[in-house]
Amino acid sequence: MASSDKTINTDVPEKDVFAIHFLQSLSNLTTQNPFNSPDTTNYRARKIKKAAYVSMAKAAGGSSRLWSRALLGRAAKENNKIVRFARRKRKVTWKISSKRRSDQRAPEATDRLRNLVPGGGTMETSKLMEETAHYIKCLSMQVKVMQCLVDGLSPK
Amino acid sequence: MSSRRSSRSRQSGSSRISDDQISDLVTKLQHLIPELRRRRSDKVSASKVLQETCNYIRNLHREVDDLSDRLSELLASTDDNSAEAAIIRSLLNY
Repeated sequence: MASSDKTINTDVPEKDVFAIHFLQSLSNLTTQNPFNSPDTTNYRARKIKKAAYVSMAKAAGGSSRLWSRALLGRAAKENNKIVRFARRKRKVTWKISSKRRSDQRAPEATDRLRNLVPGGGTMETSKLMEETAHYIKCLSMQVKVMQCLVDGLSPK
Repeated sequence: MSSRRSSRSRQSGSSRISDDQISDLVTKLQHLIPELRRRRSDKVSASKVLQETCNYIRNLHREVDDLSDRLSELLASTDDNSAEAAIIRSLLNY
């Protein structure tokens, strides 16, 4: 039985959607800790990085993608507890578990990919491919937005 | 190759994706990755695509890291280097 849609949709929103979400995130950051306060650059950079990923996940359609759901879930957990030990890491090992018996084609590379894409550990391979494509597009959009900001702020 | 369809659909009944769609996705991935886009031939193996995909994602993560660092430094400095910078700073409530 063929699935209803023949072509799988991996479209992402336009760049300005990412930009708006990121700027919003950044301005929330600044109101909490103003940038001229004596925080270390590293601390701020970590906050900015986290804001980048969260705003990217929101811009890309929050709960409609497995990777964005996983990302936002992870971020929410980090906010609630400062130190949190995962009860069981769902990181995929290099061995092929019995569940993924059907993915004999490229087991190692697939597992590596699962570790790189948020939430990839429990996806079916075909779903992983789809999520990866969308994730890559969103990541490159986010990078473009951040580059624009850096260019705008850099000394001329 | 088609014999694997039954075992693959076992996991989630709603997403019965055919092998055609999988190779379509791999092709899509191939076109997304700058490294592989230049080659343009269809002879790139699936494992190569996956390998390059992993490298590309890692590079993107690293770029986000670097850009975060630069943004952090730039936003901390109080000089307004240009009108653009002033506008951005005011947008960010600084």
